[in-house]
Amino acid sequence: MLDIDALTRLRDDFADSLGKVSTAADLQLLRDTVLGRKAGAITALYGTLGGLSTDRKREVGRALNELKAFVEAGLDARKTQLEAASAPMPSADLTLAPRPLPVGSRHPLNAMRERIERIFARMGYEILDGPETEDDWHNFEALNMPADHPARDTQDTLYLQQPFAQGTRATGDARSGVSLRPATLLRTHTSAMQIRYMERGAPPVRIIAPGRVYRRDNLDLTHTPMFQQVEALVVGEDVTMADLKGTLLGFAREFFDQRTPIMFKPSFFPYTEPSAEVFVGCQSCFGSGCSMCKRTGWIEIGGSGMVHPSVFEAVGIDPERYTGFAFGMGIERLALLAHRVDDIRAFYENDLRLLEQFAS
Amino acid sequence: MKILVSWLREYVEVPVGTDQLASDLMMRGFEVASIEPVPGRPDDAVIDFEITANRPDCLSVFGMAREVSVAYGTPLRMPDSAAPQDVAVGRVRPSPAPVLRVTVERADLCPVYCAAVMDVSIGPSPAWLAERLVLSGVRPINLIVDVTNYVLLELNQPLHAFDHATVGGAHLMVRTARDGEPLTTLDGQERTLSDDMLVIADQHRAQAVAGVMGGAETGITPTTSTIVIESACFEPAQVRRTRRRLGLSTEASYRFERGTDPSMPAVALRRAVALIADLGAGTARPGVIVVGDAARSARRVSLRWARIGRVLGMQVPADEVERILTALGFVLDGAESRHATSPVWEVTVPGWRGDVTREEDLIEEVARCAGYDRLPVTYPSMLAPPARVAPRLVRDARIRDLLVGAGFAECVTFTFIEQRAAAPFDPAPIAIANPLSELFAVLRPSVLPGLIDALSHNRRREQRDLRLFELGTRFTSAEGETRSLAVGWTGAAAAEHWSGSGRAVDVYDVIGLVQRVAAALHVRLDVEPTEHPALVSGRAGRVVRVDADGRRVPVGLVGDLAPTVAEARGLPTSDPIIVAEVDLDLAAPDYDPDRTVISQPLPRHPSVIRDLSIVVPADLPAARVRGTIHAAAPPTLVGVREFDRYQGTALPAGSVSLSLRLTFRATERTLTDGEVHAATDAIVAALVAEHGAALR
Ligand SMILES: [Zn+2]
Repeated sequence: MLDIDALTRLRDDFADSLGKVSTAADLQLLRDTVLGRKAGAITALYGTLGGLSTDRKREVGRALNELKAFVEAGLDARKTQLEAASAPMPSADLTLAPRPLPVGSRHPLNAMRERIERIFARMGYEILDGPETEDDWHNFEALNMPADHPARDTQDTLYLQQPFAQGTRATGDARSGVSLRPATLLRTHTSAMQIRYMERGAPPVRIIAPGRVYRRDNLDLTHTPMFQQVEALVVGEDVTMADLKGTLLGFAREFFDQRTPIMFKPSFFPYTEPSAEVFVGCQSCFGSGCSMCKRTGWIEIGGSGMVHPSVFEAVGIDPERYTGFAFGMGIERLALLAHRVDDIRAFYENDLRLLEQFAS
Repeated sequence: MKILVSWLREYVEVPVGTDQLASDLMMRGFEVASIEPVPGRPDDAVIDFEITANRPDCLSVFGMAREVSVAYGTPLRMPDSAAPQDVAVGRVRPSPAPVLRVTVERADLCPVYCAAVMDVSIGPSPAWLAERLVLSGVRPINLIVDVTNYVLLELNQPLHAFDHATVGGAHLMVRTARDGEPLTTLDGQERTLSDDMLVIADQHRAQAVAGVMGGAETGITPTTSTIVIESACFEPAQVRRTRRRLGLSTEASYRFERGTDPSMPAVALRRAVALIADLGAGTARPGVIVVGDAARSARRVSLRWARIGRVLGMQVPADEVERILTALGFVLDGAESRHATSPVWEVTVPGWRGDVTREEDLIEEVARCAGYDRLPVTYPSMLAPPARVAPRLVRDARIRDLLVGAGFAECVTFTFIEQRAAAPFDPAPIAIANPLSELFAVLRPSVLPGLIDALSHNRRREQRDLRLFELGTRFTSAEGETRSLAVGWTGAAAAEHWSGSGRAVDVYDVIGLVQRVAAALHVRLDVEPTEHPALVSGRAGRVVRVDADGRRVPVGLVGDLAPTVAEARGLPTSDPIIVAEVDLDLAAPDYDPDRTVISQPLPRHPSVIRDLSIVVPADLPAARVRGTIHAAAPPTLVGVREFDRYQGTALPAGSVSLSLRLTFRATERTLTDGEVHAATDAIVAALVAEHGAALR
């Protein structure tokens, strides 16, 4: 039965075969198959035109003509290609400079943050996202730092001139029904995100909160008024300080080296009790003492502790039933140590000569 | 807090050397800032400890001695002259009238006030005392002032000495200041007080800011013959507020605002009086004034042995718990439950440990003294299945990957910027009330200003080809906090090459990048002409998100950076600088990283291509030409793209030749020539009618 669909199939089959032809002999074979005087498929179709009505004959005939032209053009083009391919190509000096593709790079601070995120994501931690402008409640009060707390001095805060209705997209609170307060300050730590998380639901909690934080510190070798932190929080019915130690040891071994030791030193943070500073064995001298670790053999990487019961009370979690641990690390500090950069300001200059070293 | 080791040894036996001592105390929570030798005394040293805000009791030699005694189990010895004698704390004793009278109007802000009167002769301190002060970082002045400082360092009790002759009416009153009341403090500054500050006043006027600094008028002078020594306890928050209002921080205010021991004023006063007398510098008038009750504030906290194990994850034997807390000065009741499987103690907190208010504080004391190194290593059990990563974070990571893959270097710039750098993007940015400097005065309304500075930094360091981006938060009153992608590109789009194929970047490269970002965000972004203060006029684009219902929402900008903006940031304008910003939260509010693609069937029929060259007015946007074509064409027109644009002498002035490639395709059949001709004719007719186009 001769119809337009049959012609379409013939056209597709031909195009398919033409693509597979690689020699002049194959090409001749294909030409014979389609256009051959005796057995060519199209030739045969012309022979069946006679049996059609005048209208159909005109319609199919025109389609057949188009198909024949398409086939001939295809065969000719392929022939030219094959001839060109069989002619010798001029040789090329492959040692000449290539056309380079531009090389992009990840910023070392963000790359470091992502690396830490990946380690904790593997341990089953949820990664949080939250606002950088905060209200006093989430940044201080809920974290056991009421207005006259001396610890507020050590986190000298940058305040906003006017209360700022914060980006609700960033908090997820709008959807969960937690009332929004206007922001009055730039968060001094990412702990505020943890408060928001605990306000939204009951334990268990296993989260990390990465992001930019702000302190009223002047720029110098080791300080910038803005830096990045990763804080973690785990809450459950039987979470202990020994679990905190295990978690940090696991992190240190993953991040640095499988034999890296860690050490806890008692410290004070208003939002944890007991509190500990976290040290890892110096990666430069392996404990024997060098200038990097001020000859102690240990490098501080962050603060940690058991969540203060007042923090649980502030977010409506029963501190008798639940315990939890929290820790925080400065990303700049880890990046300075890892990349042997000696001036933190270099990370914020964005000098391409430094950035290019982090090509990815 | 600088601690002279030989001084420390007067109160406690130290069975180790200085380095070991420093290291052991460090492991108990007292960070060591430095260890300095003492000239001429090889066995001695000054250890400078950093004392955390919760341990004001250790801002003293005696306080550190207590920690040493717990660390080594060696006994603690109080200085002899500080030992209880004739003064019973907690009773108001008859004052040595008419020598001095004390009235405390605000017992809530001054729970304890003690005073003694002495006849003295003013002279220098003996060498040993002066040396101890110097090594502790305090400048010797005269024996009276030096003794007050000595006792401060020894017992963490600030003392103040008044010249008795200058105290009007021989009457000291602890009261709030009158609003606007003047006072010249010891540092010579004239200060204006307010009625929320606490002062020590005489009959006439304020003579000292309570807990902060004394007044110049009543200060000790070389001719002073009778002194009043004040030893008191002031409410911490009150001192802190006053100190901040006056911008005046002193050794005294530092200690009071962290909390002092209410039982210490009487002890320290006795110690100071005895020292002055022993050093032959004065004689005390009989009687000591004590106003207030130190004992009423004693706090009791319950401690459950089982809870220690639950919080720490390790068992500390009950007798060890008792030994640690007792050595620290806590008093433990509950001995009857001592041998129970799980003892519970009622713990009385000593006055110097104002930081201990609940069970966890005691658990920390136990853990700290037992040693954190004893904590076992365990891992928290998995409590719930891991949560899904926030879609916004996945989105940001993918966009960053895309830009890095396109050859861009990622930047991180400060979130706060200069007001004038922000101005072209937002005339009223969110301002910081207490910025470090004008350079950090406002929150960035756009990520571009920081990126422009990064371009400038590199361009001035011989880097011509720059592709930079930053993805970060911007802050606007209209949208709040949103995450935004900024891109800056200058120099080559294709690098110079021996084959001669180099090319400088232009705005179409960056629009192409914006479209690539749109594809990654699964949205449609269009660029429409606009004017923007940061972009070259006539070369400025607004990026809009086009929704399925045709709604167009502005989400960013793209164009050539205005030379005025570039020059203001020191960025050379010899090469074009193309910038773009796309607010990702606005562009893709419903981004779904796990979106399931529903596939479309592949076309079964060949497409037909027709090229069309028309002459139209040069200022006619190509988007309108495409719009006219689509409106006039049947649905078989599936694509329109400009492939050549020519402007020259062969054409009438103000017109341009545009070559367009039209692609037609039907899903269910092969199009005929006639159909395509008819469609093309209709398109041409519409172009002629709508835009006066001429076919070339
Ligand atoms: Zn080292």
